[in-house]
Amino acid sequence: MAQIIEARAVSKRFRQHRRFPGFLGALKTLVTAEYTEIEAVTDVSFAIAQGEAVGYLGPNGAGKSTMIKMMTGILVPSAGDLTVLGRVPHRERQANAREIGVVFGQRSQLWWDLPVRDSFELHREIYGIPRPRFDENLKSLSSLLDLEPFLERAVRQLSLGQRMRAEIVMALLHDPKILFLDEPTIGLDVVAKDAVRKFLSRVNRERGTTIILTTHDLQDIEEICPRLIMVDHSRLIFDGETAKLRTALGSARRLMLEFAADPGPLELKSARLTSDDGLRKHYLLERDDISLVHVLDEIGDTTALKDISIEEPNIEEVIRTFYQRRNAELPPR
Amino acid sequence: MLRTLRILPRLALMYLRSQLEYRGAFWIDRVAQVITYASSFAVIWILADRFGTIAGWNWSELALLFSFHLLGYSLGACMSFTQMRQLEEAVRLGTLDTLLTKPISPWAYMVFSGLNPGYTGHALLGIVMMGWALSIVAVPWSIGWVAYFLASLISAAMVTGAVLTMIGATALIWTRSNHLYSLFFGFWELSRYPINIFPTAIQATMLSFVPLGFMAAVPVAVLLGKPVPILGDWAGPAALLAGPFFVALAMWQWRYALDRYQGAGG
Ligand SMILES: Nc1ncnc2c1ncn2[C@@H]1O[C@H](COP(=O)(O)OP(=O)(O)O)[C@@H](O)[C@H]1O
Ligand SMILES: [Mg+2]
Repeated sequence: MAQIIEARAVSKRFRQHRRFPGFLGALKTLVTAEYTEIEAVTDVSFAIAQGEAVGYLGPNGAGKSTMIKMMTGILVPSAGDLTVLGRVPHRERQANAREIGVVFGQRSQLWWDLPVRDSFELHREIYGIPRPRFDENLKSLSSLLDLEPFLERAVRQLSLGQRMRAEIVMALLHDPKILFLDEPTIGLDVVAKDAVRKFLSRVNRERGTTIILTTHDLQDIEEICPRLIMVDHSRLIFDGETAKLRTALGSARRLMLEFAADPGPLELKSARLTSDDGLRKHYLLERDDISLVHVLDEIGDTTALKDISIEEPNIEEVIRTFYQRRNAELPPR
Repeated sequence: MLRTLRILPRLALMYLRSQLEYRGAFWIDRVAQVITYASSFAVIWILADRFGTIAGWNWSELALLFSFHLLGYSLGACMSFTQMRQLEEAVRLGTLDTLLTKPISPWAYMVFSGLNPGYTGHALLGIVMMGWALSIVAVPWSIGWVAYFLASLISAAMVTGAVLTMIGATALIWTRSNHLYSLFFGFWELSRYPINIFPTAIQATMLSFVPLGFMAAVPVAVLLGKPVPILGDWAGPAALLAGPFFVALAMWQWRYALDRYQGAGG
């Protein structure tokens, strides 16, 4: 498969100019060249093939948005080579823009006071989409996302979930080869998140649109992206199959069992006991192939059981485990 | 308790200031503009009435200068001022980022999605005043004169738009620019008087770094056959070339700044 995005040792440093307060300070800001540098992306390399769905995962401030902004031509890399569809994005920004779609979870591209359809029509003009193609895309995409009832409504009257669906539909109206999404599920409720995830995964499968999405929610990636790129503190720390992530990183799910009456110490083979408060017992599920069924099977008599919960490891935990692992593997010095 | 009492007015002041940054500032500017026009016009009228002429310009010539300035300004500013003043916010909120992902010039998008109807009023006032001034000024009417008049008016509008755009574009690098507009309006105030009333340092500034002399004083002096300091015989062509020159400079600066654009962070 042809690589449509290639990043070779890409870095981005931000210069933060020193600011002085007040009006005279503003003038002083202009004439002094004092600044500090922030490394937002350091030496990141990867290649993405046509048709892939890649999750770009990392905690806040890890450099996800910065990478998206470089791939979409908004920002110029400080070092390294970056090509998208054979172009250097910032040098051929408009040509690149025609072939990609971009959605920012935290900023709207729709006209706040106008009906959704008006923004779509403007989009059609800007991208020069032929009318029949536009009508066809609008129809199929909005029916997939149940957007039709909102098309004539002013954007400010939509819920966040409805608005995000409209943003995604708009970004797909011109049949982009790649769809970039920066935190598309941020702030959405469970139902809206689910709708967005299902839709994106369908767009990827049925339309063959390459998807790159950033998130700090592991679940987004597990449901949409077979491949995962993980970054932390500006550096790439993992690039591989999402399904293998937990095994690769060995981060365990947490299991909590709550009993009506204390059954006494309860050691299990399928899960490791980590704390025991009598009625409440906490375990770690360290193996991926172990499910709740195995656990219940092992307990046998579940009549005293009042509640069960399984918690996925959150991103911070995954990364912490990753580091512990890597440090343990480092040769002693 | 005392501490809280001290913080409250401070908070109120900060809130007031943050409000004035945005919507409030717009209306205050509009009101201020009307008052400024009225009062500066009154000052010119009083001075001219009292002394007969100001630096060799009589009352009707000053009226032509004033209306030329007003019309050129509104043509240039409607393409730049309110839009470029929003650039600072567009950088801070990331709306500029979204514009940069579209196959369109972000400058064009901003300017045309923000064309301000508020300037129609200015322009009409300028046209009416200009018609009246032209009817009372001794004008050497000819096709060449009219052509020069229109061309230099367009050039004046271009100078205005270019300078306002260059100020706004500094937000692409420094994320702030709006404080610089007050500097612009300081010189803008001066630029509707004959340029020879100012000390040489100010004259030189207004014909170079802050080229607002080309907004009215230079072209109208040429049109009325009055001497222009520093430029002398070059004043005629300079007034016509100033517009294209500063527009080209603004376009270059815009590209330069976009290449160094970093967003506002986060
Ligand atoms: N325009 C900017 N100026 C200065 N620092 C920035 C700018 N943009 C981002 N940063 C910094 O770069 C780092 C990475 O930011 P970002 O890419 O937005 O992270 P993420 O999207 O993963 O949360 C952060 O430390 C952030 O504060
Ligand atoms: Mg981000």
